[in-house]
Amino acid sequence: MSMRIAVGKGSCGIAAGAQKVYDALAPLLSGTEIALGTVGCIGMCWLEPIVDLYENDTLKARLVQVQPEDAQNIADAAKTGDLSAVRGRIITPEDSEFLTKQTRIALRNCGIIDPDSIESARAAGGYSAITHILKDGVTPEAVIACIKVSGLAGRGGAGFPTWFKWNAARQSQGNEKYLICNADEGDPGAFMDRAVIESDPHTLIEGMLIGAYAIGAREAIVYVRAEYPLAIKRLEHAIAEAKEAGFIGKNIMGTDFSCDFRIKAGAGAFVCGEETALIESLQGQRGMPRLKPPFPAQSGYWYKPSNINNVETYANVAWIINNGGEAFAAMGTEDSKGTKVFALTGKIRRGGLVEIPMGMTLRDVIFDIGGGIRGGREFKAVQMGGPSGGCIPAALLDTVIDYKKLAATGAIMGSGGMVVMDEDTCMVSMAKFFLDFTAKESCGKCVHCRIGTKRLQEILTRIVEGKGKEGDIELLEELCNAVRDGALCGLGQTAPNPVLSTLRYFRSEFEAHISEKRCPAHTCTDLLHYEIQADLCKGCTACARKCPVSAISGSVKQPHVIDPAKCIRCGQCIASCKFGAVTVK
Amino acid sequence: MSQIHFTVNGQPCVCEEGTSILQAAKQNGIEIPNLCNDESVRVYGACGLCAVEVLDDGRGKPVPKLLRACSAKAMEGYVVRFDTARVNQSRKIALELLMSDHTGDCRGPCQLNCPAGTDCQGYVKKIAQGDFRGAVEIIKEKIPLPASIGRVCPHPCEQNCRRGLVEAPLSIAFLKAHAADRDLAGDPYRPVPAPRSGKHAAVVGGGPGGLTAAYYLYLKGHDVTVYDAAAKMGGMLRYGIPAYRLPKALLDREIAEIERLGVTMKNNVKLGKDITLEQLRSTYDAVILATGAWSSMNMRCPGEELAGVTGGIQFLHDISSGEGEISDLRGKRVAVCGGGNTAMDACRTAIRCGADAVYVIYRRTRSEMPAEEIEIEESIEEGVTYKFLTNPAEIIGENGRVKQIKLQVMELGEPDASGRRSPVPVEGKFETLDVDLVIMAIGQRLDPAGLDGVALTKKGTIEADAATYLTNLEHVYAVGDATNRGASIAIEAIGEAGRCAAVVDSALRGEMKPYRAPYYSKKNVTAADLADRGKQPRCQMPTRPAAERAKDFAPVNLGLDDETAVREAQRCLECGCHDYAECRLIRYAQQQEIHPERFAGVMHEAEKERRLVCIERDNGKCILCGLCVRICDEVTGKGILGLIGRGFPTAVKPEFHDPETAAVCAQCGKCAEACPTGALKWLK
Repeated sequence: MSMRIAVGKGSCGIAAGAQKVYDALAPLLSGTEIALGTVGCIGMCWLEPIVDLYENDTLKARLVQVQPEDAQNIADAAKTGDLSAVRGRIITPEDSEFLTKQTRIALRNCGIIDPDSIESARAAGGYSAITHILKDGVTPEAVIACIKVSGLAGRGGAGFPTWFKWNAARQSQGNEKYLICNADEGDPGAFMDRAVIESDPHTLIEGMLIGAYAIGAREAIVYVRAEYPLAIKRLEHAIAEAKEAGFIGKNIMGTDFSCDFRIKAGAGAFVCGEETALIESLQGQRGMPRLKPPFPAQSGYWYKPSNINNVETYANVAWIINNGGEAFAAMGTEDSKGTKVFALTGKIRRGGLVEIPMGMTLRDVIFDIGGGIRGGREFKAVQMGGPSGGCIPAALLDTVIDYKKLAATGAIMGSGGMVVMDEDTCMVSMAKFFLDFTAKESCGKCVHCRIGTKRLQEILTRIVEGKGKEGDIELLEELCNAVRDGALCGLGQTAPNPVLSTLRYFRSEFEAHISEKRCPAHTCTDLLHYEIQADLCKGCTACARKCPVSAISGSVKQPHVIDPAKCIRCGQCIASCKFGAVTVK
Repeated sequence: MSQIHFTVNGQPCVCEEGTSILQAAKQNGIEIPNLCNDESVRVYGACGLCAVEVLDDGRGKPVPKLLRACSAKAMEGYVVRFDTARVNQSRKIALELLMSDHTGDCRGPCQLNCPAGTDCQGYVKKIAQGDFRGAVEIIKEKIPLPASIGRVCPHPCEQNCRRGLVEAPLSIAFLKAHAADRDLAGDPYRPVPAPRSGKHAAVVGGGPGGLTAAYYLYLKGHDVTVYDAAAKMGGMLRYGIPAYRLPKALLDREIAEIERLGVTMKNNVKLGKDITLEQLRSTYDAVILATGAWSSMNMRCPGEELAGVTGGIQFLHDISSGEGEISDLRGKRVAVCGGGNTAMDACRTAIRCGADAVYVIYRRTRSEMPAEEIEIEESIEEGVTYKFLTNPAEIIGENGRVKQIKLQVMELGEPDASGRRSPVPVEGKFETLDVDLVIMAIGQRLDPAGLDGVALTKKGTIEADAATYLTNLEHVYAVGDATNRGASIAIEAIGEAGRCAAVVDSALRGEMKPYRAPYYSKKNVTAADLADRGKQPRCQMPTRPAAERAKDFAPVNLGLDDETAVREAQRCLECGCHDYAECRLIRYAQQQEIHPERFAGVMHEAEKERRLVCIERDNGKCILCGLCVRICDEVTGKGILGLIGRGFPTAVKPEFHDPETAAVCAQCGKCAEACPTGALKWLK
């Protein structure tokens, strides 16, 4: 019997305390037979830190929300095989379903292998696909054909067929070509790509090697945002290991195929997630989108034929080669094949990384896998696709996850951000949040985006501040349509989506803000009115003493009153009242 | 390379394969609006103005997205349009967004505040250069009677002149009068009328409005006949303005110029008496009513019916025409009620007619008087007595003639809607003056006689459309004092008449183009912005001594000399944008109706005078088209300009004052040359 303990140490696990758990375990296990190892992120955010106990490489127990104090019990359990001392930490069957209901391809090794060990990756099948291609002489055309059969589409958001881009780059003239990975994951609430790189960098490298082979590139570049230091570190290590193992470099496995890898850390501009802006940035220029056409497949990095896919797209490639395009295409819908990874966040009970076959419904993901809304509140909407996406209301929960079906709702598949909102979310504020983001992140090049998103943000700001004017909704719509029609790149063209889709499903909330100066979700502070119910107030003076701006007056044992002119709507009075006498409208 | 055949706005075009739609259209003589494109640098696609719609991609299908003509290639069979509703809307919003962040200061406040839109700054510049003829050419684009108007206009241009923030406004009106006098003294400027259209218009009323309409309509190619009820043309300029302000011989000269041009003038023809509107309508292709407002308003004050009570306009008319009973006021005492310019003309005229005493009865104080300050001052010099804070309560008569006027004493109360403190009676406090003549100069109204079938407003004025000047009757237009809000200053009537002439011209040529006020990007300038300007005193108009001028109707003002005029003109701060004539942004912005104020929000600050060797840059005018940055990089190969920041605050940098940067500059001036707005100014 060999026991092994694996601590989940993605950025998120570490933030939750995984490193402390690891450090507590290490001295207890030193000198024992029991191996202590690191794995990446399994994707169950609400249960971090997570420690897995393996017996003969079979998962014996998954311990969740582990604290450093649990280390002794865990070490004992590993030594004796008796789990009773850690019983309270073992994941519940209900929580386990979060994983068992998923179908993991891109995430297949995440949280299972050691990201810093190429052996661990190879033991899980890593580099078998590229080995097969090179050793068995599979032609680039055959690789592209296989990807074509799989129906794999770009997972970064646009959903463009991967084989088509690869083929276009392959067909382009010239022998200096580049393969680029877009790991500039910037959507608020999205962390799919980070998890893959931190947890399974070799799957990305292998996918890129296959892509480079297919298009004829001799250099592969991963553009990672600098805010992902752990991902960069693990990827650097993995590249070094792969080079050492002969998968990267000149004449790989003795063939004519040579490919070098390097990492470019992005400086934190959201727009650099747009492929042509990313190329400009790679070239050392200001990250501003180029006009398309020409597409990167014709004129990309240094105006040479280039192919760009995102992390998740590449993470599927080796699996497709190993299992055949048909196996991938067997999953999903007529329009959308394979699986998709989502970062499920917001007011959800079980939030984390979810990979499911296309064709499941939103309800399946949010209620079945995610366990529904936290704290017994009502589901209101789910935001998909981040700043380029839109929100989908409760009435459309049975929408099938599929590029076309999601687009029909006004949202998009996007890169995988899925933010769940409950009844306490103000949809106008939500739209404003995204416009704050895009207005700030606009590259400043085209008029419609640079000034248009700013003006949208200003109009939304005045609406949530209670200064909205009659006609503002129409003005928003007019400007949204103009920006969508007139902006230069995909980011600008989709920037109005969060506004348009909330207007489509939650127009009455905008109207309430503008006409009635009322926020139905009670979150826009400028529109809140605090009042003390005279019949409930005992005159205990607690609220008056708590009020930071002395807006509450009244004598002892007499009902108190709030001066709305002084009130800053901080809510301290509500919190301090023991009699429920303070109400907010 | 093969040839591509396609159409742009329905016009067939041919180009080489691989040519952009923008370029190809240009090769075929069609300009698609654009701001950020330049052949010398790589395609950029920032401004979005060149958006086009492809209705047919050559295979029977439309292209769903709008294309940027600068980058999209012309393809065989393309049906390209940039005049569809979708494209117009896209371009309109792009322009509105650009203008919402553009402090252009397109035109100086003098021009913006002139009711006729006269290019004051332009003619002042000519005068500063000693080119009086050139000045008159500019003035006559808007005003056909500059010598007269220069003497009588209350000059809103001067009230808004930014020199006023430094020490005192330019003497713009007198400069105009001077230039016009110089022109009339020599070989006057005579614009060449357009070829005759064969159309004929009638103008009713030969005042400043009617004469202006006639002048410009004639210049545009249409024959014009002006009818006037009076013996001579000029309207209020002749019969309402006293000769000491506007010598009638001068007015005759200016009117003679209009007649000489070819305009037919018929006097002593009164509408409704000598000719009917119906006759005019059936005879002419268009009729413009410019009849003015010739009746004085009354005060509903007891005793107004007495002999010796008259209206201000009536009094001035009687004196100037010599038609009335009054001409000699020697030994008489006169009360003039009102505080406007008509009251001033009346009281100063009464002085000149020899009155023993002339009182101005005004219910507020001097500082609230609408009359021009110089008029008040000069009238006091000439012997007028002011009775401020009094209001006629009753005119007391004897044998049907005025004997006394009883005045209610007033005090100032709360400010009213106009912001002026409103006068309220002091209960029981009265004053009585012995007078022989009471002149009510409190307002004018229209006499509707002869306007058969013309719809009137509630105020009793002719209802004329604000954009077409049309009345309710087909091809009958109306301008000036007779219309809408009623009597105003001459330059208002001239402005309306000029715009009306353009509308009538378009209608006579088959397609009426209503007037649309051109869009200008404006700038709010304060005294602090001009703190660095040196003070230069305003010129003084020499006048005759009060004792001498009060005795006759000869001109009060003696006129400027050339040297004074040139020096005065040189005080001009030259506001407005140096690049207005070349600016592509304003040109496109004025081609369609835009309302950037819809998108008012934060703006780039108009930073002043950031110099890079020989370039002056104004960040408030920059539209971030990137042409300067790209040209410096791609054409000059210096790359010393760049964009910094993200989103809305993006700006062209580096620091223009940085000496290291300056040392690298090639001083080629290509950046400033390429700038589509006035953001970059070449100083060499």
